[in-house]
Order: sequence, then C-alpha cells, then structure tokens
Amino acid sequence: MTEDSQRNFRSVYYEKVGFRGVEEKKSLEILLKDDRLDIEKLCTFSQRFPLPSMYRALVWKVLLGILPPHHESHAQVMLYRKEQYCDVLHALKVVRCVTEATPQVEVYLRMYQLESGKLPRSPSFPLEPEDEVFLAIAKAVEEMVEDSVDCYWIIRCFVNQLNNKYREFLPQLPKAFEQYLNLEDSRLLSHLKTCSALSKLPYDLWFKRCFAGCLPESSLQRVWDKVVSGSCKILVFVAVEILLTFKIKVMALNSAEKITKFLENVSMLFSNLILNLERKSFGKPDFFIASHSFSDIFTL
Amino acid sequence: MAQQANIGELVSMLDSPVLSVRDDVTAVFKENLNSDRGPMLVNTLVDYYLETSSQPVLHILTTLQEPHDKHLLDKMNDCVGRAASRLPALSLLGHVIRLQPPWKHKLSQAPLLPSLLKCLKVDTDVIVLTTGVLVLITMLPMIPQSGKQHLHDFFDIFGRLSSWCLKKPGHVTEIYLVHLHASVYALFHRLYGMYPCNFVSFLRSHYSMKENLDTFEEVVRPMMEHVRIHPELVTGSKDHELDPRRWKRLETHDVVIECAKISLDPTEASYEDGDSVSPQVSAHFPHRAADVAASPYVDTQNSCGSATSTPYSSSRLTLLNTPGQPPQTLSPPSTRLLTEPPQATLWSPSMVCGMTTPPTSPGNVPPDLSHPYSKVFGPTAGGKGTPLGTPATSPPPAPLCHPDDYVHPSVLQATATPPRKEERTDSARPCLHRQHHLPNDRGLEELSGSKGSVTLSDLPGFLGDLASEEDSVEKDKEEAAISKELSEITTADAELLVPRGGFDSPFYRDSLPGCPRKTHSAASVAHGTSVNPEPLNSSLDKLGPDAPKQAFTPIDLPCGGTSESPAGNRERQASLETNILTPSPCKIPPQRGVGLGSGQPPPYEHLFEVALPKTAHHFVGKKTKELLKKAKGNAEEDRAPSTSPVEILDRLIQQGADAHSKELNRLSLPSKSVDWTHFGGSPPSDEIRTLRNQLLLLHNQLLYERFKRQQHALRNRRLLRRVTRAAALEEHNAAMKDQLKLQEKDIQIWKVSLQKEQARNSQLQEQRDTMVTQLHSQIRQLQHDREEFYNQSQELQTKLEDCRNMIAELRLELKKANSKVCHTELLLSQVSQKLSNSESVQQQMEFLNRQLLVLGEVNELYLEQLQNKHSDTTKEVEMMKAAYRKELEKNRSHVLQQNQRLDTSQKRILELESHLAKKDHLLLEQKKYLEDVKLQARGQLQAAESRYEAQKRITQVFELEILDLYGRLEKDSLLKKLEEEKAEAAEAAEERLACCKDGCSDSVTGHNEEAPGHNGETKPPRPAGVRGGGGSRGGGSGELSTPEKPPSQRAGPFGSRWETTTGEPAASIPTTVGSLPSSKSFLGRKARELFRNKSESQCDEDSVTISSLSETLKTEPGKDPGAEGKAPPSLDGPHPSPPTPDSVGQLHIMDYNETHHEHSEG
Repeated sequence: MTEDSQRNFRSVYYEKVGFRGVEEKKSLEILLKDDRLDIEKLCTFSQRFPLPSMYRALVWKVLLGILPPHHESHAQVMLYRKEQYCDVLHALKVVRCVTEATPQVEVYLRMYQLESGKLPRSPSFPLEPEDEVFLAIAKAVEEMVEDSVDCYWIIRCFVNQLNNKYREFLPQLPKAFEQYLNLEDSRLLSHLKTCSALSKLPYDLWFKRCFAGCLPESSLQRVWDKVVSGSCKILVFVAVEILLTFKIKVMALNSAEKITKFLENVSMLFSNLILNLERKSFGKPDFFIASHSFSDIFTL
Repeated sequence: MAQQANIGELVSMLDSPVLSVRDDVTAVFKENLNSDRGPMLVNTLVDYYLETSSQPVLHILTTLQEPHDKHLLDKMNDCVGRAASRLPALSLLGHVIRLQPPWKHKLSQAPLLPSLLKCLKVDTDVIVLTTGVLVLITMLPMIPQSGKQHLHDFFDIFGRLSSWCLKKPGHVTEIYLVHLHASVYALFHRLYGMYPCNFVSFLRSHYSMKENLDTFEEVVRPMMEHVRIHPELVTGSKDHELDPRRWKRLETHDVVIECAKISLDPTEASYEDGDSVSPQVSAHFPHRAADVAASPYVDTQNSCGSATSTPYSSSRLTLLNTPGQPPQTLSPPSTRLLTEPPQATLWSPSMVCGMTTPPTSPGNVPPDLSHPYSKVFGPTAGGKGTPLGTPATSPPPAPLCHPDDYVHPSVLQATATPPRKEERTDSARPCLHRQHHLPNDRGLEELSGSKGSVTLSDLPGFLGDLASEEDSVEKDKEEAAISKELSEITTADAELLVPRGGFDSPFYRDSLPGCPRKTHSAASVAHGTSVNPEPLNSSLDKLGPDAPKQAFTPIDLPCGGTSESPAGNRERQASLETNILTPSPCKIPPQRGVGLGSGQPPPYEHLFEVALPKTAHHFVGKKTKELLKKAKGNAEEDRAPSTSPVEILDRLIQQGADAHSKELNRLSLPSKSVDWTHFGGSPPSDEIRTLRNQLLLLHNQLLYERFKRQQHALRNRRLLRRVTRAAALEEHNAAMKDQLKLQEKDIQIWKVSLQKEQARNSQLQEQRDTMVTQLHSQIRQLQHDREEFYNQSQELQTKLEDCRNMIAELRLELKKANSKVCHTELLLSQVSQKLSNSESVQQQMEFLNRQLLVLGEVNELYLEQLQNKHSDTTKEVEMMKAAYRKELEKNRSHVLQQNQRLDTSQKRILELESHLAKKDHLLLEQKKYLEDVKLQARGQLQAAESRYEAQKRITQVFELEILDLYGRLEKDSLLKKLEEEKAEAAEAAEERLACCKDGCSDSVTGHNEEAPGHNGETKPPRPAGVRGGGGSRGGGSGELSTPEKPPSQRAGPFGSRWETTTGEPAASIPTTVGSLPSSKSFLGRKARELFRNKSESQCDEDSVTISSLSETLKTEPGKDPGAEGKAPPSLDGPHPSPPTPDSVGQLHIMDYNETHHEHSEG
C-alpha cells in the first residue's frame, strides 16, 4: 500500500496511453529504498527500463557487486574500495609503473593488471588484445562516471563480468548474430556471405568491447545497462540493427575489407539514426528482453 | 573611312560587266554581312541601289539575313521619308517583300509600315502611290494580324486613292490613273478579302457622306460588282476578323487565295474549289468567241440600244437591215446570238476607229483619223483571212501583211511557242486591238471629260495602227464610209452624251461607244470628208461573211470543249459552221493567241504557259470567260459586271506593247520624228519620261502579278501534295477494302465451320440427353429397389428391436426371479436360524425354568433365614449410608477441585504454546536477521577480501620490484666476489659447516613455523618466474639477513647445506630455495608480518574467530625474533624435523592466496 500511495495515481493510465517509463524513476527509487537491495529486481528493472542517469552509477555498482545490497555497509565498503584503489595506485606509483603523466585509462589498465597479477615487467611491454579491450571499455566508462574510484571499480567489475560470466556466451554471439540477421534480412546475410565478409565483421568491436567507442555515450549507457544486468545478447541485436540500418550501403560494398571498414567507421557517424531505427525493429516478442525495453534503450 | 571607300569601290565593282568579278564581290559582301552587324554596309548598299538600282545590289539586299533586317528597314524608312528617294525605296521594299524574307513578320512592328502608310496618305505622285499600294497589297497577307492597328489607315488610303481615281487631283496623267485604278482595285480586293466586315462598315460610313457619293458610284461600286458576298460578312464579326488566331492558321498564300476566292473578276478569282464563279462563267463560255471579236462592237451596239437614242437606233436598224437581220433591239437577249454575226461585220472599222483615235486634241487628229480604222480593219481582215484560206476577201493591204501573215499558218499549226509571239504581234493583234480599245477608250473618255491632252500611252496603239495602215490606201474609202456612218451615229450620240456629263460607271458602257462616235464626228467634221453610206454597206456586205470567220471560228471551236453551253450557243455554232470552212487545226492557235493577247504581254508569258499549262489554260479560260461574260452582260443590256480595272490595264499594256513593237519597226523611218511632232503631243523627252514611268508602273504591276503567281504556285504545290496524299490514302483504302473482303471471307468460312460444329454439338447433346434419361431411369429403378430394401431392413430392424425388448424383459424377469430365489433363500436361512434360536431359547427357557424353580426354593429358604435375623442390620446400614454420603461429598468437592486445576493447567498450556510460537517466530526473524547480517558482513568481507587481495598483489609487485632491484645488485656484486671466493675457499669451508647448521635450523624453524600456520597444504607450484625470483631473492635475502657474514659464504654454502641436510639431489635445490623466501629473509619476515597483520585484522573484523589459529598468529611475531637466533619448536606446530623430500615439496609451495583463503574459511 505504501508503494502504491507513493506512486503517481496516473501511472496506470500512462501505460494504457503508451507512455512507458514515465514512472521508472519513481519505481527505481522505491526499489532503491529497500534495505538490502533486491538484486534480482534491480536486474529486471534495468533490463526493462532505461536507468535514470542519476542512479545509473549506483545501480551499476550494486549490480556489479561493487556495493553490497545493504545500505549501511555501503559507506564502509566504499571506503575499502577507495583504500584499495589508493593502495594499488600508490603501489604502482612506487614501482614507477605509473607516473603523473600516465593517462588515466592506462592507469586503470595497470591497476587492473596489477590486481590480476598480470602486470608486465616493463610498461613498454606490448599490449595484449584483452588489454586493448580493457582500454576501450575504460575509455567509455571514464566518460560516463566522474569519480575515478567508481570508474575504476566499474571498469574492473565490468571487465571481470565479461571475462567470467560471459565467457561461454561471447564466442557464441557471432553465431547468434548470423541467425538473427537471417531472420531479419536473409538477403543481406547472403550478400555478406558472398563477400565473405561475415567472418570479418568487427565482432571484436561489437561483442568484446561491447560497442565501446562505437556508439555515442548516451546510447552506450543504455546498451550497457542491459549488459550489466546480465544479458549479453543485446549486443547481437544492436549489431544486427546496425547492419540493417546501413543495409543499402553495405549491399553496395563488395569486398569484406570495405564492409568492415565501413561498419567500423560509419557506426560512429550515424549511431543516432541506428538507434532510432533499432527502436522500431526490436518490437518482437520472441526477443529475450521485452520489446519495450529496447525501445527505451534509445530514447534519449 | 578607308573601309567606306573600300565598300564604295566594291559596290561599284558589283556592276562590273565581268561575271567573275561580280560574283567575287557579291561573295565578299555576303561575307561582310555575315561578320559585320553594323548598319553601315547595308546603308551603303541601299544608297547605292537607290542611286543606280543595280541588280546585284538588289540581289544582295533582298537576301539579307536576320540581323541586318532592322538596318535595312530603318534605312528604307529613312528613304521613304525623303521624297526624292521614295520611289526607289518603295520599289526596293517591294522587291524585298516579294521574296518573303524570313523576317517578314517584323514588318508589322517596323516603323517602315507607318511611314509607308503615311506616304500613301499624303503623297501626290501617282507612281509612288501605285508602287506603294502594290507594296502594301503584297505586304498585307504577310502581316494580317497587324491590320488591327493600321486598319483604318488602310481604309483611309483606299478612300483617298479611290477618290483619286475619279477626281484626279493635280496634273496626273490619265494613263497613270489606269495603273492606280488597277492597284486600288487590287487593294479593294485585298481589303475586302481580308477584313470584310470592317471594310464594309468603312465603306458604309465613308460613302454615306455626300461628297464621297460620286466616288462610290464611279469607282467603288464597279469594284464591288466583281466580288461576291464574303462569307465572313455573315459568320464573322469585326473583332473576329482581327483576331490573330484567325490569321495564325493561314500562310501568306492562303490569305492571297482567300482574297481571290471572293473575287468574281476572272483575272483575280480563283475557282479551285469550284466556286460560284465558274458556273456563271461556263454558262457564258460559248459566247466567248463572240465577245472576243465582237465585244467592243456589241458593247457599242447594245449600249446604243439601251441609250434609246432614236436616231441611233434607227441608223442601227438600217445597218442591221442591210445584212438582212432582224432588228435586235426588239428582243435583246434571245436574238443576241443571231445578231452577233452582223455585229461582227460592223465592228471592226467603226470600233477601232473610235477607240484608237486620240480624241482630245482635235487639231491634230484629222489627218490620221481615218487611218486607224483602215489599219485595224485591214490587218484583221488580211491576217485572219489568209490563214483561213480566204485571201480573196482580203482587201488590198493583204500583200503588205503577207510577209507576216504567211508565217502564221505554219507556225500556228506547229503550235510552237516562239513563233507564237510573232504570231501574236500580227495575227493576234487585231483581237488584241479590239480588246485594248476598251481601256483606251475609257482613258480617252476620261481625258476628254477632264479636258486632258492626248496620252502617250494611247499613241503607240494607234501608231501601230497607222504603221500597218499606211499602205492600205484603198481602205480609205471604206473607212470613210464607216466614219461617215459613225459620224452620223455620233452626231446623235454626242447630244445624248453631253447632257449626261460624267462618265460614271453605270453609263460606262454607253459612254464607250459614245466616245468613238464623238471623236469620229469630230474627225469627220474636221476633215470635211464626204462619206457615202454605200461603201459602208458594200464593205459590210463584203465583210459580212468574212468577219465571222476570222473572229469566231478560231475562238469558238476551241471553246466547243465546253459543250454545256445553252442551246442558243449551239444554234449559233451551227450557223457558224455553215459559214466556216476552216479546218479545225487552225482553231486552237488563234485561240491561244487570243488568250495570250488578252492577258498581259510580258515575254515570260509563254514560259509560264509551258511551265504551267493548266494554269495557262485556266488563265485563258478566265480571260475568255470574262470577256464572254462581259459580252453577254452587254448583250443583255445589264450594266452589272463592268470591266475590271485590271482588265483595262491589261488592255492598255497590250496596246502599249503593240505600239512599242510597231515603233521599233518604224524606228528607221525618218518620218517618225515627224510623227511625234505631227501628233502635237508633248515633246519626246517628256514622253520618254512618261513612258519610263509607265514602264516602271508596269514593272511594278508585273512584279505584283508575279508575286501573286508565286503565291498561287505555292498553293498549287500544296494542293498537289494533298492530291497525292489523297491518292495514296485512296490506294490505302482500296488495300484495306481488299483486306476487309478477305477477312469477310474468312469470317464466312468460320461461320460455316461454326455451324458445323454447332450441329455436331447438338447431336452430341442429344446423345447425351438420351444417355442421361436412360441413366436417370436406371437410377430411379435402383432407387426404388433401394427403397424396398430399406423398408425390408426397417421391418427387420423393428423386429429385431422387438426381440431385443423381449430379451430385455425376459432378462428382467430372470433377475426378478433370481432375486426372489435369493430372497427366499435368505428367508429360509433366517427362518432356520430363528428356528435354531428358538430351540436354544426353549432349552434356556427350560434351564431357566429349572433355575427358577431352584431359586424359588432358595428364596424360600432365605426368606426363612431373613425372618430369623431381621432386627440388628438396619442401624448398621444407616450408619453406612451416612458414611457413604459424607464420602460422596468429599469426592465431589475433590472432583471440582480437580476440574479447576485442569482448567488452569489447560490455560497454562495455551499460554505456553503461544509463547512458543512467538519464540519460534522470533527465532525465525532472528535467523533472517542473522542471515542478513551475514550477507552484509559477507559483502563487507568480500570488499575487504578484495582489498586484501589487492594488497597481496601490491606486495607481490613490490617484492617483484625489490627482487628485481636485488637481482641487479647481486649480479654486480657476484661478479666481484667470485674472484675472492677461491682465495678464501679454505677458511670458508670450516665456517661453512657451523653456519650451515645454523642456517639450516633457522630455515627449518621458519618453515615449521609457517607450515602449521598455513597448514602445510600442498599447492600448485608457483610460476617458474616467481620461483626464479624467489631463488635469487633467497640469495639476496640471506645476504641481507646476515649482514655479518660475507655474501660469498652465504651464497655458496646455501646450496650445499641443503644437500647435506636433506641429501637431496642438486636438482631439488632450486625448489627448496624458492620455498624459503619469507621464513628466512628479512623480506620474507616482513611480508609475513604484513600478511599476518592483515589476517589478524581480518579475523578481528570477523566476529567469528578461530582462537587457535589466532593464537598461533599472535605468538609468532614474538617468536620470530627468537627463531632468528635459535630454532625452538613452535607451540602448536609440528616438531621441526629434518626436511624430507616430501616436506620440502610441501614447504616450498607457498601461496598467500591459499593461506589467506584458509584463514577466511576458518
């Protein structure tokens, strides 16, 4: 009853009229008001609705396990996290692995490497592909989150989640991508196949980096809301939609290199357009996420 | 300037006689014109042309291209503005326009047009006017839509010029007026053709004014007689005819033809569409012969008749009577034909006399007066006579004419073109003359009316006559007679004429004859010659048979082609044929000649004829028809179709040409000059000027006619194209029809086959029908059978049903029976049981009865006893009762008490139960809370753990770094110490042993210390790199931890020590070394301390503590220093023992992570 009374009495009608997400902020606030946050509910919420940006960092932290579900321990845990951050940073500074001049992203990378015990002996050591991924994601997160401690932790946990939780799924994503593309537009798929571009599509960019550096920040946040809340399949849908949006141009291109190059470059330019279109085309019930959540990802 | 001079030169070179030069210069000019856009060159050319009227320049100017047209027009505008250059400019304009340049549409906008109109309105020079009008007429069809602005100008011009024709302002030569009249006539046609409504309204308004009435009567009305009612007058309106859309469809030649269509004038009219003109004309056609020869005469005669002058008519009657003809006056139309022949006999002398005489100056005339008649008569008689094989009748002049005339037959028969020209000059001349007399006469009349002098144009006419007449002296007599006769007539006539005054057109016809008569009378009076009528009569008699022959035969027969002539014609023909013996071949040529003669005499005419025979034929036809018509009209005494001005002009020209040829013949004669003076006309120079002007006018007229002809040719071409197209279409139609027929045939065939198919189809249908009926009957039968079977089965079914019912009933009955049986059985058994029961009851009864008996006996006994002892028992009983009662009371209260107690206890139980539930709930909550707290704690713990993890990593990194640094240091020192090592080897050996033991125990304790803490678990070996690092660190740490000992000693014995103690192979040394970092070295200790602190703190944080472990941990720091020096066994750890290979394997594995894990788990 208390929840209901707090909620806007019009909320029932909003949904009838077709406005979704009007009450999201309220409901999220209600969710966040619980002591001992319900992670499950938060996950579901995050998958259904776009997170309000003011709560995004908090929800992400909770979902990524940076913060425990209990409010009272938040402060302390955050303190730990901060200390840990400071310690690691200090250590890196002591070891002279990191200096003042080192870019923040790289600092994050070093810290992560240190924590995972993979810190190379020399900073000049060539970067591994996974480090590149980390850098891309770090760059994206850095733009979203202001506080460097939060930032580091989100990056770290996000990457960990990718590496642990999604380890089995990520390699399957290209397959899934092909399948969904076939459903959506088999001609495009066959074109890609004839160009033998299917295997050369920027899967790394799409799936390993989760579109970091590919989509603009606002859309990326919405995509990552889903990724953080535990569904990595969204990446496939986003990729499919990108292809569908640029279908005509892609159809015009014949060589795999050109297509790849085009997709890598062009998605930067037209991502907004893509996202609008994405909103339209993901209205199908068989997608594992309710359709409206997709439409809401991209309503900025 | 140089250029201009150059141009001047070039221009002059244009007229060079050398053809090539001329061509070159022309080419140069054209080039210049193409390159230069300025007006200069054009201006120069125009100037030059105006000066010299050079032909090449004209050619260049007329072919000017688009950009120059403006200059040319401007220049011409200038020139037209100036009076001096007006005429040549106009003629240039005429030339240019007639060629229809592509920019002709610009004319309507050019300032030239208004200035031309203005010039036509104000100028007084007839030549200029005539030229201008012709130019304007030529221009009008090209710019029809511009009429809008200038329409009233056109009308004004027409009004002015038409009045000119009558009023003759200034000193206008008569002969010019003929030209002017002709051009005004053309203008009339054009305006009426193009803008009928406007024009008619103009005419109405203009000639309703009194002062213009005369002009209308004299000039305009005769013109109107030559036009039909324009259809536009009915259908169109003033605005409609000015509508540009109307003109847009029409090309120039279309407009021209349109104008020609409404004309009734045969010279103008076009009857290509079978217009109304032709029937009329064709009706008149047969009479053509008559009018060619006799028209003048007929004219006179009829007009005389109409004049109703009794003296004249009487004389006429006498004349007529002489040939023995009935008086024609009695029945003019019907008898006309009959009267013609005699008329023909009459005409020649008198008419020719009358016409050819220059009537004006009486003083000059007399000597020559007689000549024309004889001359005209002579040649006609001779010329015509000879070819016809009637030389006998020819008068004396015949010999003279012979040279000329003899040519005719052959030439004529050959019908060759060139000779025809000559022929015309001679043989045709008579006819021509006759025709020409009309205009001449008219001119003369006009002159006489206006008291003008003799025109030069007239002169050639009768000069020629004179020339031919000179020899015919013998004719004089006849002529004299004729003149006499005429004088008689004229005397009478003159009286009539005088009161009538003006030669207004209605009386034109009448005046025609009048004039000759008058002149004759004048002549006769002047001469004073006595003329007797007899010669006349005789001559008439003599001529009578002749004249018809000459005049009629040649013309009549060719016209026989038009046999649709009225009966009258045939009559006359018959009558003629009787007279005429001439063979037919000769007929055509004369006709031709006449035809040609009647037209203009330009030299190209024959070419025209050859090139366009049809046109020529038309032309000839037209001519003749016109004449015929005129003749007829005259004969009928109707004055309606007057001679058109064009015709008059034609005749004038013809006469002029004749005269000219004669003149040429006579040029050699010295008497010529005398003649001139003799005639007393204007001095030669003046005449030459006049002649020149006339020539100019003629030329203009000619050009105009040529232009018209071109338009006609254009149209003809178009029509021809249409004809061919129509033919093609017809052919196409025919082909289509053929195809259609074929297709119809096909259709027929198909129809037949269709019918066949239908028949077959019907047959099949019938078959099918029969089959169907058969099958139907079969079906019906079968159905019937089925029905029967069905009924049978139905019956059987009912039977079956009945049986079933019966069976069921029987079954039921059976059941009932069974149940009855059962029931009975049951009853039976019950009954038997009852039976047995009753038996047993009987037995019991018996037994009980016996007992009863026994008891009765006993009772009796007891009663006996009781009675014996009855007294003392009651007291006891009472007491016992009371006791029992009390006891009962007691028990009751007790029960109550017990009940109460039970209640309370039950309450208590309930209470306790609820309490228990509460407790359970509380417990659950507590559990939940605990869980919650646990979770919270775990979260925090995880954070802490991760922090710890990070710390560990940091430490590792630090260690790594430090070890790295040590490694570097050691490397340096190692190199140094290696040399000293050998030298100190001996003493070092002793020390080594002690040291070894020390270090060994030390290390072992360290291990033991640590092992229990970490539970000595086997763990996966650390990466080789770390181990290596550990190895190096081990060396380094030893050095550091025991600074008192030389590093060389430590490094060396370190490995050997393990060898000795454990007896392990050297290969195991690195592993052991790797396992020792923390226990022995300072660094290791430090790290361990750190680690321990951490775990301690963690343990503290965890409220759950593992006491034993923590104790160990707590004691360790204290023990560590001790362990440094000695190696006492730790409290709870296992005893230090020489490290076995196994333990070494255990020991050397050290993983902070695992230990830590253990801690946390513990």
